[in-house]
Amino acid sequence: METLAETSGIALFIPKVYDIVWSLIILVVVAVFFYKFFLPKFQSVFDERTAKIEGGIAKAQKDQEAARAAKEQYEAQLSNARVEASKIRDDARAEASHIVADARSRAESEAAQITANAQRSLASQQQQALVSLKGEVGALATALAGKILGAKLEDPGVQSSMIDSMIDDLDSGAKTAAK
Amino acid sequence: MTDVFGAGLVLAASGPEIPTIDDFLPPEILFQGTPFAMNRIVLVRVVMTVVILLVLGITAARAKLVPGRWQGFVEWGIEYVRDKIVYEVMGEVRGKRYVPMITTMFFTILLFNLCGIIPGMNIAATATVMMPLAFALWTFVQYWRAATREQGLLTFLKHECVPQGVPPVMLILVIPIQLLDVVVIRPLSLTVRLFANMMAGHIILALCLSATQFFLIEAHNAMAAFGAITLIAGFVMTLFEAFVAYLQAFIFATLSTVYINLSYPED
Amino acid sequence: MDLITLAEVSGNLSAIGYGLAAIGPGIGVGIVFGKAIESTARQPELGGRIQTLMWIGFGVIEFLALLGIVAGFLFR
Repeated sequence: METLAETSGIALFIPKVYDIVWSLIILVVVAVFFYKFFLPKFQSVFDERTAKIEGGIAKAQKDQEAARAAKEQYEAQLSNARVEASKIRDDARAEASHIVADARSRAESEAAQITANAQRSLASQQQQALVSLKGEVGALATALAGKILGAKLEDPGVQSSMIDSMIDDLDSGAKTAAK
Repeated sequence: MTDVFGAGLVLAASGPEIPTIDDFLPPEILFQGTPFAMNRIVLVRVVMTVVILLVLGITAARAKLVPGRWQGFVEWGIEYVRDKIVYEVMGEVRGKRYVPMITTMFFTILLFNLCGIIPGMNIAATATVMMPLAFALWTFVQYWRAATREQGLLTFLKHECVPQGVPPVMLILVIPIQLLDVVVIRPLSLTVRLFANMMAGHIILALCLSATQFFLIEAHNAMAAFGAITLIAGFVMTLFEAFVAYLQAFIFATLSTVYINLSYPED
Repeated sequence: MDLITLAEVSGNLSAIGYGLAAIGPGIGVGIVFGKAIESTARQPELGGRIQTLMWIGFGVIEFLALLGIVAGFLFR
C-alpha cells in the first residue's frame, strides 16, 4: 500500500515521549478527580439516601413496636380485669351461699329454740292445769258426792282416801290417754 | 458529509480516500519538539478530559438527595460499575477498595472511546498506544501490589505458574507460558485490545464515509447507488462503534478486576 | 495490457496473514462464550464464577488475535 504506512507501521506501538507525558498527566488528573471528588461526593449522597430510607424504616418499625406493646398491655389488662371480675363473682357467689346457709342455720336453731320454749311452757302450763284441776276436781267431786251421800261421808278420813284413789285412776287414765 | 469526518481526508478524484494508519500518527501541531508536544489525538484527549471534569464535576457538585434525570443516569452508571463489574467479580469485601479505580477506568475509557464518533473529534482519545497502556500499567501495578499484600509474591507466583493437576512433564511448558502471561501478556493484551479496536473502528468508519463522499459527490451519477449503501453502512457502523466503545470499556474494566481478583488467595 | 500485468495482485500479504491468524482465536472466543452461556444456563447460581473464568479465558485467547495485529506490523 502506501509507502508512508510501510515505514511507520510499528511506530504505532511505540509510544512517543509527548504521548507518554500527556497520557500520564491525564490519567493522574482523571484519577484524582474521581478518587477525591466525584466518587466521595456521590458516595455521600448514596449514604445519606440510605440513611434516610433506613431511618424511615426504623421509625416505622419503632412505631409498630410501640403499637404492639400498647396492644399487648391493653390485652393483658383486659384479661386481668376478666380474671378479677370472675374472681369477684365467685367470691360473691360463695359469700352469698355462705350467708344463706348461715341464715338458714340461725333460723333453724331459733325455730328449734322457739319450739323447745313452747314445749317447755306448754308442759309447765299442763302441769299447772293438772295441779289446779286436781284441786278443783277433788273439791267438786267431794261436794258432789257429799250432796249425793249426805252427811255420811262427812268424815274427812274417808273423804281424802276416796279422793286419792279417784285421782290415781284419773291419773292413770290420763297417762294411757296421753300415750 | 465532509464535516462529519473532515480532518484526515484529502479530496481525490481518482478514487475514495483510503484511510491509513497514518491517521494514528498525526503530525505535532502544538509545542513541537518539547515533551509537551501535542498532536491531534492528544488534543482530542485533553479536550475530552476537560469536558469530563466539567460535566461530571458540575453533576457531582450539584448532586442532590432526590436525583434528577441526568443525575439519575450518572448514578446508574456508578452503580452499574460497582455492582455488575466489581462486586460481581470480587465480592463486596474485596471489591470496596477497587471501586474508585475501576469506576475511573470505565468512565474515562468509555468517554474517550466515544470521541471516535463525536463529529469534529472523529478519533477515539484512546487511539494512541500510550493511553490504553497507562490504564493497563495501572492495573498491572495494582495486581502485583494486591498479590504482595494478600499472599506474598512467591506464593502468588507458585499458584499462578504451577496449576493444580498438571502432569510434571507439562510443567516445562506451562511454567514459562504462565510466567509470560502474568508479567507481559496481561497488560499488553489489555493495551492492544483497546487500541486495536479503536483503530479498526476508526478505519472502518472513515472508509465508509470517504467512500460515500467519493461516490455521491465526486464520481459520476451512476455510482450514487453505491454511495447510498456506504452512507447507510456509515450510520450502522457509527452505532456499532458506540456499542464497541461501551463494550471495550466494559471488557477493560472487567478484565482489570479479574486480574486483581486473581492476586487474592482462593477462597 | 499483457497477461503479467493483468494477473498482478497488489496489496499487502500481512492482511491475508491476519485473516488467517484471526481464524483460531475467532473459534476459540466463540467456544469460550458459548460454553459460558451453556454452563450458566445449567447452573445459574454459579453465574458469577463462570463469568470470571470466562473473562480469563477470553483474555488469553484474544491475545492471539491481538498478536496477529501487531505481528502484521512487526514482521514485514
